Amino acid sequence: MASSSEKWLDAYYDPVASLYTFTQCLTLSDIQADGDWKLIVADLGTGSYDMKLKVYKNTTLMSEHTIIDLPTGVVTFYMDTLTPRTPAIAVASGPYIYVYKNLRPYFKFTLPPLEIHPVEEDLWNQVKDEQVNVHSMREMLETLRQEGAALTVRSLRLLQMDIGNVQNFVNLHKHTPLKKQTVITCLATMKKSVADEDAISCLVLGTENKSIYILDPEAFTVLATMNLPNVPVFLSVNGLFDVDYRIVVSCRNGCVYTLKRGSTDVTRNMIELNSHPVGMERVNKNIYVGCMDETLHCFTSKGKKLWTVRLPAGITTIEAIDYKPKSFTAVLVALNNQEVHIYKEKYLVDIIKMDDIVTGMRFGRFGREDGTLVMSTKRGGLYVKILKRTAKFEEKDMSAGPPASQNVKLNVPKKTKLFVDQTQRERENGVAMHRTFQRDLAQLRLKVMREYVKVLDNSLNPISSDPMEPLKLSAHVQGIGPTFKFTVKLQNTSLSQATTDLLITFDFDDKLYNFHKRLIQVPMLVPGLTYDFDTFVDCLNDKGITDNVKVYVLKQGKSVPVLTGVVSMPVSESIVVV
Amino acid sequence: MGFFDSLAQWLGVKKKEVNVMVVGLDNSGKTTIINHFKSPDAKSHDIVPTVGFSVERFKSKALAFTAFDMSGQGRYRNLWEQYYKECDGIIFVIDSSDKLRMVVAKDELNLLLENPELKNRTIPILFFANKMDARDAVSSVKCSHLLELQAISNKPWFICASNALTGDGLHEGVEWLTDQLKVVLQKKKK
Repeated sequence: MASSSEKWLDAYYDPVASLYTFTQCLTLSDIQADGDWKLIVADLGTGSYDMKLKVYKNTTLMSEHTIIDLPTGVVTFYMDTLTPRTPAIAVASGPYIYVYKNLRPYFKFTLPPLEIHPVEEDLWNQVKDEQVNVHSMREMLETLRQEGAALTVRSLRLLQMDIGNVQNFVNLHKHTPLKKQTVITCLATMKKSVADEDAISCLVLGTENKSIYILDPEAFTVLATMNLPNVPVFLSVNGLFDVDYRIVVSCRNGCVYTLKRGSTDVTRNMIELNSHPVGMERVNKNIYVGCMDETLHCFTSKGKKLWTVRLPAGITTIEAIDYKPKSFTAVLVALNNQEVHIYKEKYLVDIIKMDDIVTGMRFGRFGREDGTLVMSTKRGGLYVKILKRTAKFEEKDMSAGPPASQNVKLNVPKKTKLFVDQTQRERENGVAMHRTFQRDLAQLRLKVMREYVKVLDNSLNPISSDPMEPLKLSAHVQGIGPTFKFTVKLQNTSLSQATTDLLITFDFDDKLYNFHKRLIQVPMLVPGLTYDFDTFVDCLNDKGITDNVKVYVLKQGKSVPVLTGVVSMPVSESIVVV
Repeated sequence: MGFFDSLAQWLGVKKKEVNVMVVGLDNSGKTTIINHFKSPDAKSHDIVPTVGFSVERFKSKALAFTAFDMSGQGRYRNLWEQYYKECDGIIFVIDSSDKLRMVVAKDELNLLLENPELKNRTIPILFFANKMDARDAVSSVKCSHLLELQAISNKPWFICASNALTGDGLHEGVEWLTDQLKVVLQKKKK
């Protein structure tokens, strides 16, 4: 595996940027129309106060705006046709969308108020006219809540309070009219009528009351409202509002719905996930969903599952790569184990190792560089990596399974006619061939056994099988001829018993050889020791003929030799006459 | 070379010709630098991103330069290596205000140095740390540190801070390059 440093350049890192943000709150855009793309970050501050909208130019913080509530999404969009083409920034926060133009606050859009439960409204009206006690009101609100009615934020706050503070709270708020507002959960953009890069876009927002709103960018009116069975959390939009569009929404109940222009049936092409979604991206026509159960799924736009990849750790966020100069598309998956995995289709093509958990990622153009990956981490760091010009992502690079060399074709020679005929014959007569082989094998074994028995019967082997005479014999021939030295070594291999009355004699062809000693008397053999007995042998032939010589060890009074050794004599040198 | 050519050269009428390549990332100011050396009537007023490359000629006190002004855009950078063989010197322009892409410049420089055509040649490299006037520009010393220029051992190099809009620092750099190229040409003659 090639290390990720061969593919990514570390352009910038600030481990103490103190950014608390997520993928939805990061965006890259050319907000000054000068070709130098800025990084726009909605910083959640401490999580309860100090929320900021930050804009980075290159590596320096260019501007900062305070946001009143927690931001839930940041996008940039073109809202007019004026030149220079400067896009506006939209920040979703609570029930509002704050629009910034040229880095100045421009407009605040408020979501349309919702209908208040009539009983709740009555209660607040009665308490204003002091027709009802605050405590009985509180009890009635509690029963309403338990019945499952959606209450206003003010009533919910009241229910959370200690009994002692309720009176003050009611006195403070009872004169302001009761309003019920929802909260924006996700934000996206959709081109209105032209697909150009800098065409006017609508804002698409998902809200806590299970609805999707599409806003007109010029007048900020609601163009379309769609209802969902659950609260939307991630949006993926493509198409044009005036022509045809498709919004893929993943919801908090673990389902992914597809909304189309003019279609009201959201359950068509519905995808049910096994777990809750933590990120959703659309690449080409496929929907990639990262789930809480450490899996990454891929679905077609029709809702058919293509594949699932199990990851080594929990997913924190996912982001799509669409790098046009090399037409490279992939999905970045940030994991809890401080790694970012890059999947091209279902193949893991690269791993970026970080020193912190990545919580927010955005890939795109930053500054003047196209392939830039901006990451924010759990401890508040900001990292910028640039894709190298020479980087190549090879498919199946690191995926589990057979190694690549297995797929390399061997240079197998062409099949000859002989080979084909042989194969044909083997295929047809397989059974007969096997039987013949088995029979021959059995006969070979039988022959071996017979020979072995014969050897044992005639004591033709150099190690004695007789338990009374445990002896070992070995014989050597030394010299180059015509006279050789013939040495016989005898060892008594028993542990305690000495052997007596042994003789050594030789069986040879007397036309070829002449042994100086034909019979050697063996003394008593002490167990364990090796005894050498030698004699000289003359070779009588100078034609290079050799023969075997047998060595017998005999016991006095026995007709069968105790041991037999066979020595093959070497070829003798001819006699040199000087 | 004919007799009249050598005579003309000896008299200083005709200058020796050298090829230099001007490379660097997009928007670093390569074309603007070349534009500064052109004669006043040949100067262009608006400078647009170069497409592919353009060939410009200008003269310094002793040499006639043919400059290959390469485009720095990512998709044209693979063109650079096609011209390494013919060039006698390299001018590498750095946008010293673009801190984010310093690593990209370093990466491209390393690719250039590792190229087999250039690896073993002692070819002079002149670095212009351009856009010194920009507010967040880094110094030429910091630039050479960021690009790890001290690691270049087999090639003479020189970095000078420049501002291509006013021309500050450009002549200093080209004078150095002229001196280096003269040495190279003399060696070649021998």
